[in-house]
Amino acid sequence: MMDQLTNTQLWTILGPVLALQLLLMIIALVVCIRTEETRGPRWMWVLIILFGNLIGSILFFIFGRKLAS
Amino acid sequence: MTQWFVLYCREWLELVRSYKLIWVPIVFILLGASQPITTYFLPEILASAGNLPEGTTFEFPVPTAVEVLAQTLGQFGTLGVLVVALSSMGAISGERVSGTASMILVKPVSYGAFVTSKWAAMLTLSTISFAMGYGAAWYYTMALFEAVGWREVGGSLLLFALWLGFVGTLTILFSSLLRSAAAAAFSALAVSVLLSLSASMLPNAFAWSPGNLSKLAASFVMNHTAEGLWLVVLVTFCAMAAALTASAAVLRKRPSLDAA
Amino acid sequence: MNHLLKVEGLAKSFAGSKAVDGIHFTIGEGRCMALLGPNGAGKTTTIRMITGLLEPTSGSISFRYQEPGMDRRKLIGYLPQIPAFYGWMSGKEFLVYAGRLCGMSARAAEASSKELLERVGIADAGKRRIGGYSGGMKQRLGLAQALIHKPKLLVLDEPVSALDPIGRREVMALLSELKRETTVLFSTHVLHDAEELCDDVLIMREGRIAIHGAIDEIRASNRQPVLLLETEGDERSQGWVEEWMRHQPAFVQTAEVTGSGLRLVVNDVGAARRMLLAQLAEADVRVTKLEFGHTSLEDLFIKAVAR
Repeated sequence: MMDQLTNTQLWTILGPVLALQLLLMIIALVVCIRTEETRGPRWMWVLIILFGNLIGSILFFIFGRKLAS
Repeated sequence: MTQWFVLYCREWLELVRSYKLIWVPIVFILLGASQPITTYFLPEILASAGNLPEGTTFEFPVPTAVEVLAQTLGQFGTLGVLVVALSSMGAISGERVSGTASMILVKPVSYGAFVTSKWAAMLTLSTISFAMGYGAAWYYTMALFEAVGWREVGGSLLLFALWLGFVGTLTILFSSLLRSAAAAAFSALAVSVLLSLSASMLPNAFAWSPGNLSKLAASFVMNHTAEGLWLVVLVTFCAMAAALTASAAVLRKRPSLDAA
Repeated sequence: MNHLLKVEGLAKSFAGSKAVDGIHFTIGEGRCMALLGPNGAGKTTTIRMITGLLEPTSGSISFRYQEPGMDRRKLIGYLPQIPAFYGWMSGKEFLVYAGRLCGMSARAAEASSKELLERVGIADAGKRRIGGYSGGMKQRLGLAQALIHKPKLLVLDEPVSALDPIGRREVMALLSELKRETTVLFSTHVLHDAEELCDDVLIMREGRIAIHGAIDEIRASNRQPVLLLETEGDERSQGWVEEWMRHQPAFVQTAEVTGSGLRLVVNDVGAARRMLLAQLAEADVRVTKLEFGHTSLEDLFIKAVAR
């Protein structure tokens, strides 16, 4: 099947998905750095987001922050 | 009504400020898009894995477009449900434990409105996210496989969104019963797994159960109809109403947990 | 005196133990009442029942302005011991939200929030996220949100005990201003705070009321003369003190040995003075200090609480 695809076609398929994943990671990183208090050390969350892929960012958004104060 | 709207606006603001309104839809879109894409590339991926004898040829039955969408619903049935439960697990317990509930509920606020505003926010978030994710799956299925009609997609979307909303409602109920957010998410997930299992193992005895919803959604996209749909939908609505009523009653009994 | 709040037979048990044990009291309109007592006396439990955060086991709570079926919470402004906020909201947003929940229009809540922020002294921080506020600022914001709907009764649970001395001073000053405008009920375990602010006190001990009344009346009616004697602590003086304790005259109510001297609560200060001075001179006791005074509210508080 792939033989029928040119490189550009491949990128039009995968490009948006990869871009979105990157966007999620960047948002997670920005939030992680800017938030007042993280649950556990901040650098740990940065590593989790950078190397944990999609799951890392999700984990940070769910468990990484303290919302009430 | 004005008061309910004020409460709902606060929930909406929290969805925005906590970035939930950004990350949950993105996660759903990624989930939705990945299923048709990996299905499409699966033969290539397996072939390039390399530890197969030279000359082996694959004869994969190419799945039909509606099968791909049904598989996508299966993905949402695990990871999507998990994200919905985890993102609303602290809805009530968080406020009760931190003490914000005792700041708000000493004001002349209806307990029912407090609970339903949170419920409505959860429903908004899960439905928007799922619709976007399913939309992405639909788009990729059309691009890589073949066209699927909007009626099949729309019907299955509504049925599956109801299932997600039901799991979210369970999470809110457990969030008002239990002190720990993680325990609430776990309980809601456990109950939803039990419902699904019981419905698929004993289809006759549990024909009414909300646990059928994900199966119904998959069968709707494949066959354009689903048997016994209305009974399940009705039971689900009643169960959600009962869960919300119970949740409000628990809150009225003990509005805060911050001081023992 | 017109009562604003009337509490009758209020009781609460937790798992069999009685945290509050059938108390009765009223709060007069426009008065400031301190709910005083050691930790664990049932102050917070009482307050939470009044605000509706805790269901009483038995008893009733009624307001003068409360029509049948009306939500009591409309009349109450409440500041918990440690106020909690949504860290992602700004101070102003929280006040507007609180006001709107109390049924104010968007415009009224906006105006009122601005005025209250000004008044509690955090106008500059109004636009900042509450997550970055200090403890004192949160306390002020907590006070502002309790006042937003102009409540008939302002209920404050230990409003100053978590603050540093400067924050404490400022909040106390704010409270003394507020008590002119509305009825205040606040709990504290520090007698000094109660004396500084309040018209009435209600002293609780183990879930019951030990003393209840106007602070001036209690002070006047429980005022007793006190005699304080200190000596150099030499052997002869000590001996005299011991000997004296064994033959106490009739005017002595309570007597205790304090280090090298005596502390006497007496009912006839004239007789006590004459007799004691004569005895001291005769026995040639090495007196370093002899003081004639009165019992303070603190003595009463300690007596009431530590019985």
